[in-house]
Amino acid sequence: MRSQRPRLILTILTYAALIVLVAVVLYPVLLVCKKAFEPGRQFAISASPIPTDLTLDHFGELFTTRGGNGELLFLRHALNSIIVALLTTVVGVSLSCTAAYALSRFRFPGRKTGLTMFLVVQMFPATLLLLPLYVILNKLNLLNSISGLVLVYSTTAIPFCVWTLKGYFDSLPRELEEAARIDGASPWMIFRKIILPLSRPALAVTGLFSFMTAWNEFIMASTFMTNQTRYTLPVLIQSTVTEFSADWGLFAAGAVVTSLPVMIAFYVLQKYLVGGLTAGAVKG
Amino acid sequence: MTNVFGQLRDFAIGAALALLIATIAFVAVRNKELAERQLDLSTRAAIAMASGRALPDVHAVLVSTPTPSAKHPYLRQRRIFDGESWRPLVAGSHAEAKLIYDAANRFDQLPFPYGLPFSSGFSELLRDGTGRAVTVVPARTPGAQLAIAVTPEVPPAPYPLLVVIGLLGLGAALSAAGALASGANGRVARAGTVFAISVLAIPCVLWQAWIATTLVLLVAGAIALAQSARVTDRVASGIRIHRVALSFLAPAAIPMLVLVAAPFVIGLVLGFYDHHHGSWAYVGLHNFGEILSGGGRALDDPLNFWFIFGVTVLWTVANVAFHVAIGVTLALLLSRTWLRGKGVFRMLFILPWAVPNYITALIWKGMFDSEYGALNQLLDSFGLDSVSWFSSWATSFSANVITNTWLGFPFMMVVALGALETIPKEIYEAADVDGASPWQRFRHITLPHLRPSLGPAVALGSIWTFNQFNVIYLVSAGAPGGSTNILVTDAYRWAFERGERYGMAAAYATIIFGILLLWTVFGARIVRRKDDES
Repeated sequence: MRSQRPRLILTILTYAALIVLVAVVLYPVLLVCKKAFEPGRQFAISASPIPTDLTLDHFGELFTTRGGNGELLFLRHALNSIIVALLTTVVGVSLSCTAAYALSRFRFPGRKTGLTMFLVVQMFPATLLLLPLYVILNKLNLLNSISGLVLVYSTTAIPFCVWTLKGYFDSLPRELEEAARIDGASPWMIFRKIILPLSRPALAVTGLFSFMTAWNEFIMASTFMTNQTRYTLPVLIQSTVTEFSADWGLFAAGAVVTSLPVMIAFYVLQKYLVGGLTAGAVKG
Repeated sequence: MTNVFGQLRDFAIGAALALLIATIAFVAVRNKELAERQLDLSTRAAIAMASGRALPDVHAVLVSTPTPSAKHPYLRQRRIFDGESWRPLVAGSHAEAKLIYDAANRFDQLPFPYGLPFSSGFSELLRDGTGRAVTVVPARTPGAQLAIAVTPEVPPAPYPLLVVIGLLGLGAALSAAGALASGANGRVARAGTVFAISVLAIPCVLWQAWIATTLVLLVAGAIALAQSARVTDRVASGIRIHRVALSFLAPAAIPMLVLVAAPFVIGLVLGFYDHHHGSWAYVGLHNFGEILSGGGRALDDPLNFWFIFGVTVLWTVANVAFHVAIGVTLALLLSRTWLRGKGVFRMLFILPWAVPNYITALIWKGMFDSEYGALNQLLDSFGLDSVSWFSSWATSFSANVITNTWLGFPFMMVVALGALETIPKEIYEAADVDGASPWQRFRHITLPHLRPSLGPAVALGSIWTFNQFNVIYLVSAGAPGGSTNILVTDAYRWAFERGERYGMAAAYATIIFGILLLWTVFGARIVRRKDDES
């Protein structure tokens, strides 16, 4: 029987397989953590994930390197990243919540098309829009500007936010709204006073997703931002390990500092992420 | 009498379109005139300077041949003569020192026309938005190699705002008059609309912008036609009925239109142009022809589209297969009821998803490093030969696949875990009673339950992998010799790493979009049909 304990050999094999796979999954991550605390610029002196020598030099270098104008580079780039990511979150979520509500509650011609469009756009590779966006931002004088990046990131985040929020709104009971409507509340008031307060968890997830979109994006940032003071963290981290000069110690320190916050947030909210994505795909 | 409000509303729509067309025409005409005037001015000034005369208002200088600097022989110094004395051309010595130095160097790199020992020079508009033009010609004065003239900045011509307002007023009056004078059939009203919008074609005629004129007249005709078919009335009432829904939708829809639809259209259009050294030229279907024919390259040439397409398909299939196989296997292992520490295992296996993927890609790039990479150290410690990962296609491609497998399987695992949870235990118990083998249980119970969620996940995953830019770009970077590029990275290289061939890149992007569209339409259908069968 399935629920009974199976043969010992099977148990051992299962645990062995899982532990080997865990080792494979953890190995690269452990190597980077080791590199961050180990002296030297090369990637690895030995294959062991345990450091032989401990140092905080890489973190020191990361936090104290100054740019051409005497600014602390890492802090500058971290600040850029935080501003871009926060603005993207605010803009992305606030623009998409009303649209998601309209798609969830109202029936109007073009609703299905609109939903499909939001889904197709989500499948659009950002790299395809890169070139036209470059031309447009160049014309609008928005290259090398935080607002240009925020605009682009928000539109990348909107489709996912709309789908996730729509799924959540669909699950809210309509009785409250009907009662409010009988009492004479306007659609806008219903949305603001009833729907939004009820949707805090969904808003938090979409907010996190928008934040991660902006925080982790590399190629647009490195194409649109050519001025070093405008770099975001991904561009900085990639620039530590170019083909011509690679400082893996510095890279590892930067990678640890940059990844930790998003990884923590991801773990807190991960169970909602899959739901939103596949729900969108299944219904579309 | 026709409804005056409806008539004015239709006029407003037509006028807005016509105004947009006229404004584009104005900008184009103004830029063209401005460019011609500035180029003419700078050419005349440069030619005059070449024989030692200075023209008023234009900054022109004579420039000497470059001589190696005394201190740093690799730096080349030039001297300039600006009408008074010869002095060295150094940064900051002169308002336009950098500009002049660059222009002189460009002159040296120009090819010589047939039969001449030197180039005949060039004349162009600066691309910095100041409206300045620069001309370089060979000098005829002793001691000087060439003459360079830079025109002063010019402000853009003012927009004829008053004229436009006047024309709009006239149009509104015409359209209202048409509505008031119109009988039941509304023929006069339509005529009023046509005339009212056509008024805006007048400035286009004056600017000799014939395309714009035609477009404005077409808009006028189209609006009148729509009016007589009652299209405008119906759209307006539709908007009125659904105005609440539309106002909720607008905040997201408008930015999406501007920043997704507009770039998309621009991208489609750019594919028909060629971009070379800062200038655009219409080439029709040439880019598409060059891409789809492989550009005359052999089929195994890494720049041949079909080669890259093959690599991309292989890349997508290999990755999705590994993602699904590993993800489903892990999900099955983790769903054993007797397993302890499920939560911990699940947390650990999700880790690759939580790490930002550009960081993952860079970590693996470091691990594959032939000298200091951890993988070669590992091979070494097992007594195996180290591998130079990025010097052959097979190992380089594998490196990419390994990286992407590592970062992509958690998604499939989570999806599969979710699907397994929905299978009622009773079915398995019933199967056990009937004496089903483990394989039969998997084949006839587990698999059918996995399909509805794995299908969309595979469709989504295949699109993500098809477009997985970061891994290819950061891990193998196409090495060796661009042979491990996929379509999206190759399109990027056309735009930003191969002499700014924006047109080629845009054509590539269009083709990629076409492929993905076909895949989502037909692929989705295949997935759905399989669902129906099971």
